[in-house]
Amino acid sequence: MVDATTATPAATAAPPARRRRPWPATLVWGTAGIAAVLAFALVGAVWTPHPYDGMNISARFAAPSATYWLGTDEFGRDVLSRVMAGAHLSLFMGAFATFISLAVGVPLGLIAGYFRGLREEVIMRAVDVMISIPPIMLGLLILAVTTPDIWKSAGAVGLIYVPIIVRLTRGVTLELGAQEFIEAARARGERDWYILFVEILPNAWPPIIVEAALRVTFAILLGAALSFLGLGVQPPASDWGLMIAEGRPFLSQAPWIAIAPGVALVVTVILINLFGDGLRERLDPRLRQKGA
Amino acid sequence: MRHTCSAPGDRDAPISAQPPGREGEILTLDGLSVRYGSGPSSLRALDKVSLSLPRGGALGVVGESGSGKSTLAMTLMGLLAGSARVDGGRAVFEGEDLYALSPAGWAGMRGRRIGLVFQDPFTALNPAKTIAHQLTEPLVLHRGLSETAARAEARRLLDEVGISDPDAMLSAYPHALSGGMKQRALIAAALAGDPDLLILDEPTTALDVTIEAQILDLLEALRAERQLSMIFISHNLGVIARVVDEVCVLYAGQVVETAPKAEIFAAPRHPYTKGLLASMPRLGAPRARLETIPGRLPDLTNPPEGCRFAARCPFAEDRCAAPQPMVSVGPGRESRCWKAVALGATPWTSAETAAPARARTVAADAPPALRADGVSKRFRRAGGVRVRIDRSGAIPVPRIGHSTFNAVDAVSLTVKAGETVGLVGESGCGKSTLARCLIRLIEPDGGAIALNGRDILKGRAADRRTIARTAQFVFQNPDSSLNPRKTVRQILARPLALLGEERPGTMDQRVERLLDMVRLSRAYMDRYPHEMSGGEKQRIGIARVLAAEPKFVICDEAVSALDVSVQASILNLLADLRDELGLAYLFISHDLSVVRHIADRVAVMYRGGIVEVGPASALGTPGHHPYTEALLSAVPSLDSRGAERMRLAGTVSAPGDGITGCRFADRCPRKIGPVCDTQAPPWRTGPEGVRFECHHTADALAG
Repeated sequence: MVDATTATPAATAAPPARRRRPWPATLVWGTAGIAAVLAFALVGAVWTPHPYDGMNISARFAAPSATYWLGTDEFGRDVLSRVMAGAHLSLFMGAFATFISLAVGVPLGLIAGYFRGLREEVIMRAVDVMISIPPIMLGLLILAVTTPDIWKSAGAVGLIYVPIIVRLTRGVTLELGAQEFIEAARARGERDWYILFVEILPNAWPPIIVEAALRVTFAILLGAALSFLGLGVQPPASDWGLMIAEGRPFLSQAPWIAIAPGVALVVTVILINLFGDGLRERLDPRLRQKGA
Repeated sequence: MRHTCSAPGDRDAPISAQPPGREGEILTLDGLSVRYGSGPSSLRALDKVSLSLPRGGALGVVGESGSGKSTLAMTLMGLLAGSARVDGGRAVFEGEDLYALSPAGWAGMRGRRIGLVFQDPFTALNPAKTIAHQLTEPLVLHRGLSETAARAEARRLLDEVGISDPDAMLSAYPHALSGGMKQRALIAAALAGDPDLLILDEPTTALDVTIEAQILDLLEALRAERQLSMIFISHNLGVIARVVDEVCVLYAGQVVETAPKAEIFAAPRHPYTKGLLASMPRLGAPRARLETIPGRLPDLTNPPEGCRFAARCPFAEDRCAAPQPMVSVGPGRESRCWKAVALGATPWTSAETAAPARARTVAADAPPALRADGVSKRFRRAGGVRVRIDRSGAIPVPRIGHSTFNAVDAVSLTVKAGETVGLVGESGCGKSTLARCLIRLIEPDGGAIALNGRDILKGRAADRRTIARTAQFVFQNPDSSLNPRKTVRQILARPLALLGEERPGTMDQRVERLLDMVRLSRAYMDRYPHEMSGGEKQRIGIARVLAAEPKFVICDEAVSALDVSVQASILNLLADLRDELGLAYLFISHDLSVVRHIADRVAVMYRGGIVEVGPASALGTPGHHPYTEALLSAVPSLDSRGAERMRLAGTVSAPGDGITGCRFADRCPRKIGPVCDTQAPPWRTGPEGVRFECHHTADALAG
């Protein structure tokens, strides 16, 4: 049973068609917030109140004051300047790693879920192998053979998250692949790539976007762990993750060292999730109509 | 005896303080209303429903989607979910006001005194627990039996619902059971509390027609033996007609007509009931075109004050804008229509039948649109991996073998240009696999297939898009056959660009022409699928097929998911398109009435093979394959035929390996003996040119 409405439609006036809805509020705020964070990072990359690596031994562990708005760290470096200078590194880490995991994971997941058979077996068993290795070990493995570099560590973090994206995408694809509109596309002779990227992918986005927003967060933190091991960002430069890690021993003595980058990270994460949520809503015609 | 849906709750008069439960009535609803949500967007799913059920009576509740019939079932069980709540009125069961009950009071009522059987037997059982566990739990809980006693009682219950081997059933898990067995188990579970009232919400909708017939027989027997009262909810008038003695028609949350079964089907009084009955295809009384009910269900967030059906009613007048009370239209009959008495037996009329049907003749020498010869498809049986030792050589070698089965077994079928061939059979008989093999959506293992005289298995015509230009596929489920992320424009433009012939006009104009063909207005161009009703979506599915300008269209259960009145309009559309464009159809359906209505010839399929082919008109006369005979006899029908029914035991046997005799031998009620198991039956010719595969002669079967 689907519904009780019959149409002798051409004759019957169709109910008013849907009006274009404005962007959902979450997307507006998410976009605006992310734009602000990006501006903050760009400014930080070229100008900071104090040099981010300038040490002032006399002002070690200084509490927030008019000179040092967010206080100083154990070498007397200005925390605000370091948060500003580290912003672009953290954002790059999060964004590039997520991009890599999506760029590699989504097509593999689509292929595994759509074609099944041997291709699925090969991809999914490879993914199982990757998942069985602890992330840090995998990162070390990838980075140990080369010189430390932020591109490489971001890429490594991205690859670490590929299995999660593959599994998720495959699951959604399996479900969508059984729908009749996919069979209809095959019946009219669509190429496989068209079915994968034009029929299936737009419907698979919602859960992938939610996952990607989470991945950005985890990537920043995992990138920090790699930096902490000396494999990513090189001192005296520092990203937020590394700053949190470095500030942790002084948490009781000078909490601002870890709290400032921590707050920056949390705010960014919230904004990214807001953005992801809004994007999902915007992309889904069903939610779009209800929204506002 | 008075048991009717009565009027008192109609007006907004205050409801009397005394529970209105009347003598001899097991259940009385008085002005019961249910609302979903709150505020301006809230929706009144049930609007002052008043009805009563005498002890031992059976009431059928009929309505299409959105009528509120499932809400009614849930309300009576106190199982309203989410934002839904009882908004007024009362339900009195055996003198107790149901909505004054405490949660503990409900627990003693639900399952104990009121039993419920849900629609979908496939999901209603917990797959992780044995049947014994699921049956004994209510017995221990409600009737305080010990585990041992409960098991014995469960065994007895299974026996009562016609399970031949209750012990095997008890230790089985749900996945091992067929749909019909599951539904029997669920009925046994509903009976476990020894209820006085059984509420059945579409209990046979998910089942095959032969299984449905078995379940209906069972319900009839249970009713007689246990003095059970029943409320039987269904969209299917034929099914209702089998079991109940009183029918109540719901429309847009209101009771619109109530009458004894025999009278309502013979002489409906409310226009909606007339329309509903007129839009049903019937086996016994074929018509060239079906009536339809134009328009759509009113918006229940803001329903019209007057008659809710007025906007779709051909008899509507100004006076219909006033609120309509139920009026008496005869002994024990009421209708929510002031014109009901005046209309009397005036038949339903719609624009649909105003256009005269064209006479249909398919030229005997018409070239075949489809010719399939010995098409076969084998599938691997799930988990059927076997290792066997090959001793044919000098050294024994282990070989891994897969156990396979013939889903489609050497099927030959011809559809002439402009002809409609119906393909019927129960689920699992291979009809969908065959359909997909015919256009190579599934690659057949063997045989030859020619579309428009060109072999599509090899050579230049084997290209996917070349096939698509000749043969197209209409899918079953309008909810999943359209990509939810695409607008109608995108959905139709793509096949036009990919497969369509060069035609004048912009793409938009060509899309508009397709919409015209399926009688949809241009306003639909920018709609997404979720913004359309099921019937409209199915029209888009048909328009998409027409974009390729095919000559042959396969309709796989294309109207099965639709409401009766919508189904009628889609069937009419398909018939019109066939006549206008000279299309040939292979029309697959489990519903013999639908196939009888639209098809010129009918092929009957069982266990992967076709067992009978003949003209559709011959379905009305005797002399068929025993399987066809059983299918025909299982069709629930409004025309109460006196003839005894032929019943099939069990379910469709697994499509098997190496069927040596007749495919149908293991279930055949007319089995002769060992010859049926060992020798392939010959093709026989019966009256009207019906051909079937049976050891009996046509004369023996007709007699």
